[in-house]
Amino acid sequence: MNTTGISDTARRIRREIIEMAYRSGGPHVGSALSCADIMATLYDGVLRLEPWEQRDIFILSKAHAAMSLYAALAIKGILDAKSLESYCRDRGALPAHLDRFSAPGIECSAGSLGHGLNIGLGMAYGFNRQRCDRRVFILIGDGESQEGSVWEGALFAPRLGLGNVTVIMDYNNLQGYGRPREICGFEPVQAKWEAFGWQVVLTDGHDCQALLRALTAASDGRPRIVIANTVKGKGVSFMEDQLIWHYYTVTTEHHDRALRELA
Amino acid sequence: MRNTFIDAVIARGGNDLMIVSGDAGLGVFDEFRREVPDSFLNLGVAEQNMASFAAGLALTGHKVYVYNIIPFLLYRCYEQVRNDICYQKLPVVMVGVGSGVTYAPAGMSHYAVEDLGLAATLPNLTVLSPCDAREAQTAADFTLTAPGPVYVRLAKRGERAIHGTPVPDILQPLVVSAPDAADCAILFHGSIADDVMDAGKLLKERGISARVISLPCLQPLQEDVLLDMLQGVRMVVTVEEHYAETGLGGSVARLAANRRPAWKLRERGIPNRFLHEIHDAGGMRRCFGLNAAALARDIEGWLNDGR
Repeated sequence: MNTTGISDTARRIRREIIEMAYRSGGPHVGSALSCADIMATLYDGVLRLEPWEQRDIFILSKAHAAMSLYAALAIKGILDAKSLESYCRDRGALPAHLDRFSAPGIECSAGSLGHGLNIGLGMAYGFNRQRCDRRVFILIGDGESQEGSVWEGALFAPRLGLGNVTVIMDYNNLQGYGRPREICGFEPVQAKWEAFGWQVVLTDGHDCQALLRALTAASDGRPRIVIANTVKGKGVSFMEDQLIWHYYTVTTEHHDRALRELA
Repeated sequence: MRNTFIDAVIARGGNDLMIVSGDAGLGVFDEFRREVPDSFLNLGVAEQNMASFAAGLALTGHKVYVYNIIPFLLYRCYEQVRNDICYQKLPVVMVGVGSGVTYAPAGMSHYAVEDLGLAATLPNLTVLSPCDAREAQTAADFTLTAPGPVYVRLAKRGERAIHGTPVPDILQPLVVSAPDAADCAILFHGSIADDVMDAGKLLKERGISARVISLPCLQPLQEDVLLDMLQGVRMVVTVEEHYAETGLGGSVARLAANRRPAWKLRERGIPNRFLHEIHDAGGMRRCFGLNAAALARDIEGWLNDGR
């Protein structure tokens, strides 16, 4: 798909996020919006999903952004779009964090940070051992890389090669309590991952063309991390780069304003 | 017991078999590593990665065995075991060595006296605690085809043979000594078997007959089968190298509270506190009254009190 199509998918994902957050009264709108372009690029232009049995795997490790994945899966027809209506609601179909038994296309249960990367490494080794060319993509948050388990995986993966792994860091520079550098900084992030033996690619996380280029570049045999610079709340002016939109819930007024911006 | 288990898994495992270790078990997997090098991975001293990595392997259709010393298999990475392996119902077999105070006097960090309590908080998880090589063999067979997660609690090696014939079903309680009329029943699991069997002999010498039952499967506990086996006794004693409160003792106490059987229950295990004593494993058992002589003496006393 061309990048205009991908951008349109991203806009639709954002609209669905606003609708889900509004209906459920749940938080994490900013976190979901920040990775909408990444999600659209993956599902429209990167992941090989046919035949389904041999598909690439996408693991959303920062699963508090589940709305973004649910929306992408619904737009692709993998998940029943009707189930979005009961996201994170009493007797609903989709929980706020991921349960792989809840709906098709959820490859991995998640919610506690610092699990998805390591599960993805296991899957990637499994595919290599089975001599199949399935690939694994894992989206982590920037705050998530304060988890020791992320660095356990980062340290270990290059020994196995695992050129079929791509980690994407949604680097929106806001975690639950503020700026990462004020809480527990992990810069220089590029130098750290390179020193661990990873191929590191920096990109604008909202430029679908740049994302597409970064995510489809040929592997050099090492595991790869794409550091995607993003803005939390991207696409809705009054949510952009605002810490409070990690938690705020969407009122009718927010909802109407946001949808006008995302028209 | 450990080598019997691992050798049986390796001998009967299919192409989908993967064994991972957290830098434990030097020498245990040597031949396997030589024969199928891509089926064994030492994931290093990184337990969180180990448990999640195992879940990932299982998600690609592998039958995964994770080998480590129990604290580094279940405690350090409890949340990975909970969320990634058990919540996702994956066919991962967690093989833990060093049950109870096997590694004494290694210190508290290396003891596993609360693992069954942790395992009991994990739905979908089958928990096996074999007592000898025959139980370990049948446990290995069970794990190879188990569709969900299994935790196998092992001591190390050199355990005494308890069963004279192969064990048909590892999920069932196993009567290992069954006099016609028993005054009491002794329930146990795992490597405490030798002291329990010896205690049974000592009691017999004193004219007390004990029905001795091994419970290699602690989760799910076959409660009805067990209650049937306990009919006619007036006292049941649980013995284990584990805190009794969160181990077999606690499970049987709950069973007794719910079903109100005729027998009285006594629980014997490691005292529920951190252990600062410095002894070898045998010394630890003596220290906590888990050796045969103390068990026999106490059981005799309890039975006399009840008369």
